[in-house]
Amino acid sequence: MIQNLPWLFLLLPLAVAAIDWLFFKKCACCAAALSILSALGTFGLCIAYLTGLCTGTPDVYTWMPIATEGMPSLSLGLLMDPLAMRMMLVVTGIGLLVHIFSLGYMKGDTSNHSRYFAGLSIFMFSMTMIVLADNLAMTFIGWEMVGFSSYLLIGHWFNKESAADAAKKAFITNRVGDFGFLIGILLTMGVFGTLSFSEMGTGTEAIPTAVLTATVLCLFCGAIGKSAQFPLHVWLPDAMEGPTPVSALIHAATMVAAGVYMMVRLQVSMGEGAFTETACLVIAGVGAITAVLAALMAVQQDDIKRVLAYSTLSQLGYMIMAVGLLAGEAAMFHLYTHAWFKALLFLGAGAIIVRCHHEQDIWKMGGLGNRMPITTVCFLMGTFALIAIPGFSGFFSKELILDAALEKCPFFFWVGAGVAALTTFYMARLCIITFCGSARAHGAEHAKDGGFTMSMPLLLLAVMAVISGFGFVADYLVPFEGFHAHGFELGLPFYVSMGALVVGLLLAFVIYGCGKRSKDPLSGNFISKSLRERLYIDKFYDKGIIGILQECGARTIEFADSAIIRGLFAQGAAWFTGKIGMLLSWIQGGSLRAYSLIIGIGVIFVIFLLAYTFPSL
Amino acid sequence: METSIIYNWSQFTAEFTLVGLASIILMADCFLKKMPKSYYALLGAAGAIVAACFMHNDEYHNQFSVIAAVATGLTLLLAYDYRKVTCEAVSGTDSEEGSSELYALPLIACAGICALTQAKDIIMLFVSLEVVTLSSYVLAGYFRRNQGSIEAGVKYLILGAMSTGLLVFGAAWYYGTTGTFELSAQVVQLMFFVAEPAMGVGFFLGLGLLLCGALFKAGSAPMHIWIPDVYQGAPTPVSAFLAVASKAAGFAVLCLLILPFTAVLTAQSDIATVEYVQSCTLTIVQCLAVLTGITLLIGNLGAIGQTNAKRLLGYSSIGQAGFIMVFLVNMTDTESQLHIANYLTAYMLATMAAFYAIAMVRTQRGSEEISAFRALGKTNPTTAFLITVAFASLAGVPLTYGFIAKFESFCAIIAAMQSWGMLLWLTPLLVIMILCATAGFYYYFKVIREMYWEKPQPTDAPLQVPVVTAGVLAGCAILLVVLGTWPLLTGNL
Repeated sequence: MIQNLPWLFLLLPLAVAAIDWLFFKKCACCAAALSILSALGTFGLCIAYLTGLCTGTPDVYTWMPIATEGMPSLSLGLLMDPLAMRMMLVVTGIGLLVHIFSLGYMKGDTSNHSRYFAGLSIFMFSMTMIVLADNLAMTFIGWEMVGFSSYLLIGHWFNKESAADAAKKAFITNRVGDFGFLIGILLTMGVFGTLSFSEMGTGTEAIPTAVLTATVLCLFCGAIGKSAQFPLHVWLPDAMEGPTPVSALIHAATMVAAGVYMMVRLQVSMGEGAFTETACLVIAGVGAITAVLAALMAVQQDDIKRVLAYSTLSQLGYMIMAVGLLAGEAAMFHLYTHAWFKALLFLGAGAIIVRCHHEQDIWKMGGLGNRMPITTVCFLMGTFALIAIPGFSGFFSKELILDAALEKCPFFFWVGAGVAALTTFYMARLCIITFCGSARAHGAEHAKDGGFTMSMPLLLLAVMAVISGFGFVADYLVPFEGFHAHGFELGLPFYVSMGALVVGLLLAFVIYGCGKRSKDPLSGNFISKSLRERLYIDKFYDKGIIGILQECGARTIEFADSAIIRGLFAQGAAWFTGKIGMLLSWIQGGSLRAYSLIIGIGVIFVIFLLAYTFPSL
Repeated sequence: METSIIYNWSQFTAEFTLVGLASIILMADCFLKKMPKSYYALLGAAGAIVAACFMHNDEYHNQFSVIAAVATGLTLLLAYDYRKVTCEAVSGTDSEEGSSELYALPLIACAGICALTQAKDIIMLFVSLEVVTLSSYVLAGYFRRNQGSIEAGVKYLILGAMSTGLLVFGAAWYYGTTGTFELSAQVVQLMFFVAEPAMGVGFFLGLGLLLCGALFKAGSAPMHIWIPDVYQGAPTPVSAFLAVASKAAGFAVLCLLILPFTAVLTAQSDIATVEYVQSCTLTIVQCLAVLTGITLLIGNLGAIGQTNAKRLLGYSSIGQAGFIMVFLVNMTDTESQLHIANYLTAYMLATMAAFYAIAMVRTQRGSEEISAFRALGKTNPTTAFLITVAFASLAGVPLTYGFIAKFESFCAIIAAMQSWGMLLWLTPLLVIMILCATAGFYYYFKVIREMYWEKPQPTDAPLQVPVVTAGVLAGCAILLVVLGTWPLLTGNL
């Protein structure tokens, strides 16, 4: 019994979501309290398992038994290795802080809070499902469920058309990736004969390289969708229409990192041998392209959340690149530090947005440094971690990725360094415009720090953003088996990243001065415009692919509908069956004598069937 | 051949109780003049449900008796809610005079069905079947001031008498060729391996006639012809009884007739005898398959054009009987009786709910046409939803028990195709099943469409849902959804 305690990780948030939804629709306080308690409970449970207070493996529950030989039954089981449990700490820890922050953030908002907290709880359930899944089928269930909860939460303010559209876009874009993922799962089932992570490692050598490459790349499609990699990155910036705490939890720290987690999980369980050269090259390439493009687009964004969203994209690109370079530990280390400081940045941005009366344009802020000191300090801590100033957590993890890149493929190292310079530039730009100078709009003039529920999570996250990269924390918490933070060594990577940092900072201060300017001096030219327009990728999808598909699809369906379905099937079948029905009702005319006759004929027919065609005994 | 069948008095406890209860009701009707007659319906329903619980736990009765007893209980509850119409149709006034037999006779018929399921020989089978049939004749024509009801009663009587005659004739052939009335694998075994070859033709002739008698009760082709007229004309509670309990009796008889062959088929061990027995039983499978196909087509195609809700359910009961017969076509399956019982349960829950809905609409809107269901979705949204669940289950919409039942039926035909090694031969039946399942969506959804897509007429007031009807509708709908969802969750389809 006691060994089944980990099922609470799943059942607690699920039950809370159901209760919130069904019973506390009117009572937002109860719903919020319940959700926070459930997050607290799972966090506590997680700590208990990490510290070894609780141990034991939970029972595996066979969900759909498949009798056929050689086919794996679908089972539900929890994989409680260090990789999963430490990831759980990130999920539940940030989850808990975001739940608490939401209390302050949603205060005064008129939408239904029960719905919001139920959405958060169902997200916690789904994310836990991905993290603790012991087989790919279960991962896929969680995968779809996070997509669903993300849809609910992005569209929380569904009265706003842009929010509803963004929710739809996120959901549909993810479907594209999930389609590949599903094929990948089926391929895995066929190639490895199992979906269970613990049984995948054997017999990789016997499988042809091409098949392995196809399998891994199909599975990677799932990660492309969920982790918003090029070319499916378009949904993440739009997803910022959701409430900011949601962006912090789902679209920065946890859900979008699920793609990276899944790829590392596969790398660990299939063995690095399964990741063929071609597959690795594609994965690293996609990561690098995403990192560069997103960083470029971030340079010219004006919406504070969008800057952060593109920065998330770019950092995810980093992680995926590390996965492609077979440096799973570096990817997970960066995932882990990134989760803390990016959640911090988003929550900080959330605090700023609320205090500036839901203003998100950085050109209408300014001078917030004096008026919101706690938020500013926390936000700066997060920024320092992101731009990798030595001594902050992001520095250590980025260094590890650059080291790995230099070792495996110097090209990706230089890409990484370039992105680091861009990152420094756009984050410095953001901070200068937001916090320095004087207020450029009315809303920013009276801004002040948020209350306890908003400041406390910020401070805690700021602490983590600073210390989580050091060995004394990282060795115990980074979600990778046998991880050792080895500190940094003076060498080419260190000098290059320092160079990138200095270049980025210098450029930003030269261009934006001390925040006195009221509009972007870089804007107005062709490059700026195309960056603002996201390099026209979204437009191309909208007008080109979706437009053509819809037009062709509509015409085809219209033809099928009118000619085949309506003409042939519906009317034809209706006419035909109608005639038969008329015949039947003619037989069923009500005359008793006719009925008796029919029975008589029927009996003779039965006897004919039985006795006359009877084989001689 | 010596017969060695012994029945104990003790195994008929439930039957005696039911008959005793019926007698009590009849006596009370004579002597307790002041007692409202409709209370007898409640008393009888309680007795039937208790008997069902009792039979569920005892070793002699099988699932069919439980289904029949529950159906009887539900019939009597329906009769309670239908008492207003009953009074008008029986006495022509509001007086309840002369309506109590309607509450006693179903109990007697139910006792007959329960005894029937325990039969081990044709004598017992015939006697208990006649108990059911005779009570049903009276019940079908019970509304003596209603021409439709009288017509239904007469038609049922004459055609039923024919079927009884066929049954007895078949029994004679059976006895003549085997020398016993016993229905068991032993007899079939002897027939196949010991008896004179010429006897075989006579034996199968007798079997064919017996089958016809059973098919009459089950409502399958070619003995389905009485169903639409009788269901439409008979009092609604009686139609419900005929549609469920009487049909269960028919399938109980079919099982008694067919299962001995299954037992012999599965008992063979060496290849030579397996092939021999298969060649002997092949004609039965072929015959059943042909009849199943015809039944499905008649039931489902005939239902398409119907406008009267009770007549629609009549055709629907023929169509559903076709789906149930598929389990018998899969003759090597030793568990077919269990599958049939499952299907009948799904069918009972949905059909009973449908008849309750018809009775309620008839009582308050005075019509049994499908169009009388108009706009219930607006006037009585909850009730309309419950009715929707019932009809969706009849059509076999996923997440209802009806879907699981139909799914099992399709599994059975595929298993039959595999075990008989005649894929081509049974494929037409599979195609017919698919077409008929599709047609089901069309005609069952006519009612649903009427409830949600039609506009209410100005005179339409919301229906007053009687307590009993509300309870039964809700109970049936919940059971249908729960039983239909549970296997999907546990994966044990």
